[in-house]
Parts: sequence; C-alpha cells; structure tokens
Amino acid sequence: MFLAALSPKPNDDATVDAALVQQVLQRDMRAFEQLYDRHCRLVYGLVFRIVQQAGSAEEIVQDVFLQLWRNASQYDASRGPFLPWLLTMARNRALDTLRLKSERQRRREDQSEELPSICAVPQFEKELDQKRRASRIRELMTSLQPQQKRAIELAYFEGLSHTEIADTLNEPLGTVKSWIRNGLMRLREGLQATT
Amino acid sequence: MDQKRLDALKGRIAGHDVSTTDQFGELLEAYALGALDAPERGALEAHLATNCPQCAAALTEARWLVSQLAYTAPEAAPSDMLRGRLMKIVREEAAAEQAAQKYSIRATTVAPLAKPGVPYWMWAAVAALLVVAIYSTWDARRLSEQLRDINSRAIAELNSRAKIEEELAAVRREATILADPASVKIAMATSQPDTGPLQANWNPQLGLVVSGQKIPPPPGDRVLQLWLIPKAPGGKPLPSQAVRPDARGNFVLLVSNPPEQMAATKALAVTEEPAGGSPQPTTTPKWVGGVILSDTKD
Repeated sequence: MFLAALSPKPNDDATVDAALVQQVLQRDMRAFEQLYDRHCRLVYGLVFRIVQQAGSAEEIVQDVFLQLWRNASQYDASRGPFLPWLLTMARNRALDTLRLKSERQRRREDQSEELPSICAVPQFEKELDQKRRASRIRELMTSLQPQQKRAIELAYFEGLSHTEIADTLNEPLGTVKSWIRNGLMRLREGLQATT
Repeated sequence: MDQKRLDALKGRIAGHDVSTTDQFGELLEAYALGALDAPERGALEAHLATNCPQCAAALTEARWLVSQLAYTAPEAAPSDMLRGRLMKIVREEAAAEQAAQKYSIRATTVAPLAKPGVPYWMWAAVAALLVVAIYSTWDARRLSEQLRDINSRAIAELNSRAKIEEELAAVRREATILADPASVKIAMATSQPDTGPLQANWNPQLGLVVSGQKIPPPPGDRVLQLWLIPKAPGGKPLPSQAVRPDARGNFVLLVSNPPEQMAATKALAVTEEPAGGSPQPTTTPKWVGGVILSDTKD
C-alpha cells in the first residue's frame, strides 16, 4: 500500500521533461537538445552496462534519441513520466542488440518493435528528484542479499529468464524466483520508506 | 475462518475470482523485468488480456519499479562526437521536413456534378474542366517531385559546404591555439621504445590541440584516446576524444570543449582503446604529460 501523495513541485523533473517533449513535437530542436543533455548520461550508462562496448552503446543511444525525435507523439504525459519510458526503450534496444537468437526475443515483455508502454509513477515517488532517487536505488541494491542482487542484475542487464538465471548460477528454479521476487519487494519497500 | 478463505468468499460474492488475481499478481514484477519463462508469461498475458483492473494497475507500478534499476548502472558519459552526430541527423531531418512542407502543392478541387435537366453544353464544360483539373494535378505533382529533388540536392550542397566551412574553422582554431602565447605547452612523454613524444597546447579560451608525428598506429581498429586527469583527490580520468594516426603516423587532435578546465587538471594522458573510445581507461597510459601553469589565469 502506498503512502498518500503530496502535490508534485511545479518545476520537478517530470514536469520539465513533459514540457520539453511537447516542444519537440513542435519540432523545437533546442528542446530536443535539452532532453538529450538532461538524460544522455543515464541512458548511455544503462546501455553501456548491457552491451559492454562503447561503440555499440553510442549507436544504440543515438537510435533511441532518434526514435524520440521521430515518434515523440507516442509519449503521453498523462500516463506517466518521460524518463522511465525513455529508459525502458533504451533497455529494450540494448537487449535486442545483445540477443542473437529469436527464441530470446520473445521473452521481452514488449514484444513488438513499437515503443514501450508507459510506466505510471507510484504516488510516493513523485517527491524524489533524480539525484536522490539514483542514490537511494543504489543504496537499496547494495543492501540486498548478494544472490538477490545478482539474480536481478542478470535479469535486468542481460535479459535472462528465470530458467536461464538458474542455469547460470547453478541454483534451483524456485530459489531464483524467490530471490528476484523478494529482492524487488525489498526495493519497493525501501523506496516507500524513503518518503 | 482464516483471511484467505474470507477473501475468497468475498471474491465469490463480488463476482470475480480473487485467487486468479493473487496468483498472477506475484508474477507481475518478474514479467515487467522480462524474466518469466514462456509458459508463465503466456498464462499471465492471457489473464492480462481479460483487462483485469487490479493486475493492470499493479503492472504499471511494476514497470515503473523495474525502470528504476537503470540507476544502478555505473555512471558513464558518451563522447561529444555522439552528440554532434545525433544533432546533425536531426537538423537534416528537420530541414527536409520544412522543405517538403514548403514545396507541397495542393490539388485543385473539382466542381460538383450538375443536376439532371442541365443543358448538354454545361455537361461538356464540366467534362472539359475535369480534364484540365486532372492534367493540372498530374503536372503539379510532377513539378512538386522535381522541386523536391532540386531541394534535396540543394540541401546536400549546403551540408557539404557547411562541412567544409566547419573543417576550415577547425584548422584555423588549431593554428591559433598553436601560435597564441597564452597557450600552455604540455610535453607528453612515453616509455615506449622507438616512439616519439606527443605535444599538447592548451589555450584557456580556444581549447586543446594534441599532435604527434611518426606514431605507430594501434592494431586493428583501436584508437588513441585522450584523458584529462583531474586534480581533485580520487577524481576519475575524464574521457575526451579519440584519434588514429594517418598512414605516415601523424595526427592533430583538436578538442574545442575539454571536459575540465586547465586549472583543475593535473595531467593529460593517452591510452589505446577500442574503436569509438571508452568511458574509462581500459589500458595503461602510453603518454602522460603534467599540466604546469604559469602565473596566467584561465
């Protein structure tokens, strides 16, 4: 159960991003540049972590932001903030590059080549600005049991399924499912406790 | 009666199956993570297709939670070159869109058919108008295509000219940095046998030029990458641009906007990296030069 929401600050990150995306829809290049400068490091860091090659990472980041320029109309601010949407698109593209077999591609949640679904923000999260959120998430991940952290990282950064993680770690399938479920639950509870 | 049975009873009274929602609720975060195996994923997607409101709401929150994992990736920055490439493509696409809008020609409208009882000569006039309208539309479309083609070639010429002008500006900037007495000279020594030093000239306003002669090229498609070592204790090397020597082993690297100011930089270093550069050094430096300032300020 989430805590009651406070009103988001008028100049918070999500509001600024939504306004910039609207300007990009009007083909405002300066707004597009601002969106890139605001988020390129986080997007690149995520993509580089997944593909582990600077050249490929830069190609994917370029592709993600070009998709944004060409399909900004696909983003609906009323359904959720911009940054989680952008990060999900970047992760999907990076995992697509990483995966060579079509069998793996079917496991991705968003199966089509279309842009990802919007992620609505739980009420308690609207108060955390980006820097504090990044710091908090990293702290929470570090506080997880090592096996929970490892299982979640294998799923998120390498796109592995439960079975593939169990094979990789040489652990029972049920154990891996528990690690991921409990690890994500602790992350969620930790973020709730922050507000 | 325990809580589970009580909830199940309430569910049956409410007309929906509580146990199914609970069963799938546990899978939603793993689904958002992309970790479900095919059988579980298929079953969950079939349930989601029933538009279960509890699961839909829980799934949007699960997706948001998973997206936060991006913050756990190590911090890294793309090269300046990526920004330049991206904005160039976007500018070209924006220019093409504007040109297409400017030169689009609307088809003329055709007069409505006459009502029954109208004289024959009016029908003939309408038919003639139709023929003229169809020909005009075809001709207009052909002209529009020609104009688009001319415009595309004009844009390509302009881009080519802009590129030449950019290159000329870069050469002028390099020459100014090398000649300006305010530029700080930094000798970058190497311990490699049979390899000469690099020379860096750093101008506080105009940027940094690093040059080398008869430098053996790195193997394969690897590159030489410049790093700025900050003075701040524990500071990580800041990545800058990468270059490959030409066939004669010569290169001149211009960095117009170094990632750190000269006064805050302890040293410059050059390492060998994979094509495209790296966010952090992956090899030991081959050249290093200390940044020693005189009394002049930045």
